[in-house]
Amino acid sequence: MSRKKITTAIAAAALIALTGCGANASANSAASGDDFPKKGKSIDLIVAFSSGGAVDTAARLVQPVLEKELGTNVEVINKPGAGGQIGYTQLTSAKPDGYTIGATGSPSVVVSPLDPARGAKYTRASFQPLGRQVIDPAVIAVQPDSPYKTLKELLDAAKAQPKSLTASTTGLQTGEHFALAQIQETTGAEFAPVHFSEGASQATTAFLGKHVNVLVANVSDVTDLTKQNKARVLGIMTTERSPSLPDVPTFKESGYDVEAGTVRGYSAPAGLPDAVAKKLEAALQKAIEDPEVVKKMNALGLQTSYLSGKDYETFWAGQEEDFKKVLPLVQKK
Amino acid sequence: MDTLNELLNGFAAALTWQNLLFAFLGCLLGTIIGVLPGVGPVAGVALLIPLTLNLDPAGSIIMLCAIFYGTQYGGTITSVLLNTPGEASSAITTIDGYAMTKLGRAGSALTIAAVGSFVGGTIATIGLVAAAKPLGELGLLVGPPEFFALMVVGISLLVALAGKSMVKALISGALGLLISMVGIDPVAGAPRFTFGMDRLLDGVSFVAVIVGVFGLSEILSHRKGADAPLVHAPGFRSLLPTGKEWRRSAPAMARGTGVGFGLGLVPGMTGSVSSLLSYVAEKKFSRHRHELGKGAVEGVAGPETANNAHANAALIPLFTLGIPASPTIAVLMGAFLQQGLTPGPSLFTEHSDIAWAIIASLFIGNVLLLLLNVPLVGLWTSILRVPAPILTALILLFMVIGAYTINFSVFDVFVMIGFGLLGLALRHLEIPLAPMVLTLVLGPLMERSLRESLEISQGDFSVFINRPISAVLIALGLLIICSPLLKLRKPKALTEDPEA
Repeated sequence: MSRKKITTAIAAAALIALTGCGANASANSAASGDDFPKKGKSIDLIVAFSSGGAVDTAARLVQPVLEKELGTNVEVINKPGAGGQIGYTQLTSAKPDGYTIGATGSPSVVVSPLDPARGAKYTRASFQPLGRQVIDPAVIAVQPDSPYKTLKELLDAAKAQPKSLTASTTGLQTGEHFALAQIQETTGAEFAPVHFSEGASQATTAFLGKHVNVLVANVSDVTDLTKQNKARVLGIMTTERSPSLPDVPTFKESGYDVEAGTVRGYSAPAGLPDAVAKKLEAALQKAIEDPEVVKKMNALGLQTSYLSGKDYETFWAGQEEDFKKVLPLVQKK
Repeated sequence: MDTLNELLNGFAAALTWQNLLFAFLGCLLGTIIGVLPGVGPVAGVALLIPLTLNLDPAGSIIMLCAIFYGTQYGGTITSVLLNTPGEASSAITTIDGYAMTKLGRAGSALTIAAVGSFVGGTIATIGLVAAAKPLGELGLLVGPPEFFALMVVGISLLVALAGKSMVKALISGALGLLISMVGIDPVAGAPRFTFGMDRLLDGVSFVAVIVGVFGLSEILSHRKGADAPLVHAPGFRSLLPTGKEWRRSAPAMARGTGVGFGLGLVPGMTGSVSSLLSYVAEKKFSRHRHELGKGAVEGVAGPETANNAHANAALIPLFTLGIPASPTIAVLMGAFLQQGLTPGPSLFTEHSDIAWAIIASLFIGNVLLLLLNVPLVGLWTSILRVPAPILTALILLFMVIGAYTINFSVFDVFVMIGFGLLGLALRHLEIPLAPMVLTLVLGPLMERSLRESLEISQGDFSVFINRPISAVLIALGLLIICSPLLKLRKPKALTEDPEA
């Protein structure tokens, strides 16, 4: 009995090993386009921030529709760190065969290649934009028991004693960091930034534990917190109030001319075959504009604002020009 | 009530056929690794991580946990039947286990060991359930400075307890930290120590390093052993212990659970310390202590219960605080991180469904192992009859395939081989490997929390002393590191612990 059993055991073990490997083994062969996506070959969707944040949530909402449209598995992979740069590096160094796409958020994706100190391995040309999903305005919030009841009180305190209040960001030169810099530039209120470079969920946790005084985030990050009365949002950095936070005044209303926010979409590494790009773009549009997805996004405080790949690219180029001007504000001195 | 609800939801998730299959495969592979004398649990878990990388997070962690505690069961079989421990933590079982084999009670010894492991493992998992909520709620108190201080304590404990020389342990720890720095700076984004190689931007692949340092170097350093002697698996009938054996085992299992559970919670303690101390406890307290060494069933029941209680209890600091208590757990933590899950307080707030599914699967796994272990003893022993060279070649093949499949790049295979040679060198220099894995896993987390802390305090290091929780933790860490100066003697069992 022994020899037979040995062979069976080894065969079983080998089989397990090979099936484990086989799942992705073919991921390397180049795709010509027409047969994209091959059946059983999964697509990686890289999210450059940790799970639980708005980028991640949006990607996970889009994922099931994408799977249906493309007829294959789409796996969301979190590659957090360095304010998105680690995930973006991975995305742009992947083969442009359509089997790797990623969520791209500005300003992080726009700005990181602009600052030579970051040594980014990619530029705007390394990305092939596939579609824009949302614009998520920036907000500023304090703990419910904080002495600051209005935006003016908070900003005056930060003006009177610069850097006495700590404020969270999701990393150096991310949307929140720019928002802080713009506030300082226009109002003179200076906060001490604390960079939680993994993403919004770490920043929020630290804020809830009162390890930072001020939460700088996006509307979607605080919608839930406001409902649970865990954060008092003092201002939103847009021209119009957000439908998710109707009671929160805009910075403009309070007399400060500050506009900031995060724009999120999806991109692939540059150089996709045309046929593949078309299929991905079409699937993404379906997924982003899917009524169910839009509804769920609304519930999270995210207003869908779709742009096609080409328009997203133009928009991206415009942002690059804008951010070049304010970049010096957020560079390490 | 809340906890119970979540646990039941966890069971619902863990009982899907996919997850059951993963738990089953994990138990099976774990037992095989436990049976094979050349491959320890650290190397085994590391070796099998590549198999799980493509699974969804819950399935992957369920399988790895099953592998982890499966090794604890498997090690017993060879201890009892062959007088050769498959794992360090089963070494002490050889004394009475093999004596029982000579008395013709091998089957009974194996059953008692399996039942004891089941009892210890299940009770420790209940402890995890009870601790999860309260400790998880402390989560918000743990800000970046506290988190950093917690890491300091974890690392200093492991450094202090690993091997004979603290200097060597510190060298190993520093090496791990250095390796963890390779790649893009997690805060400022600048590439570090990449030597201009794009492949290193994402850091050195954790899995390749672990497979190399633990797996490959273990195989390379393995002295050429004689083929295992032929063993005859005990018949099914002899597997049933007598009523007297059951009665004598019960108190030993209770003591074993206590020892294993308590020590399992302490970072830096390995399972072998638990089984050793449980044997000592039997020698002191058992009513049949004079029979120990001559085939007393307590000598099997106690240590085997203890090492499984230990293995499961060691998951408590990992799940609730994010501190890996032993090298194997550090490897497991690495796997969590690869799956985008950060063990610690936030695990239960951000991924509570996955966390509870894993906990439920621990219960299921313990049952599976009991079912797998006893009737299949014959199969396990036959694995030992595969000639050593063939077995080694197979394992090497697995390692190469495993390293390759991480990113489908040959680069990782070279990384694995390179670190295998490094591991071999370290073994020759008697530098313990455990601190290195620990700092390799914790390095990025420590760096981030340190930098966040200093941003909160605007560069003032007193932030670690001004906050009570972090102050206590830092003081504790210092005390541990300074303990050799205070001439505190380590128990002998620790200095001779082969796993450390």
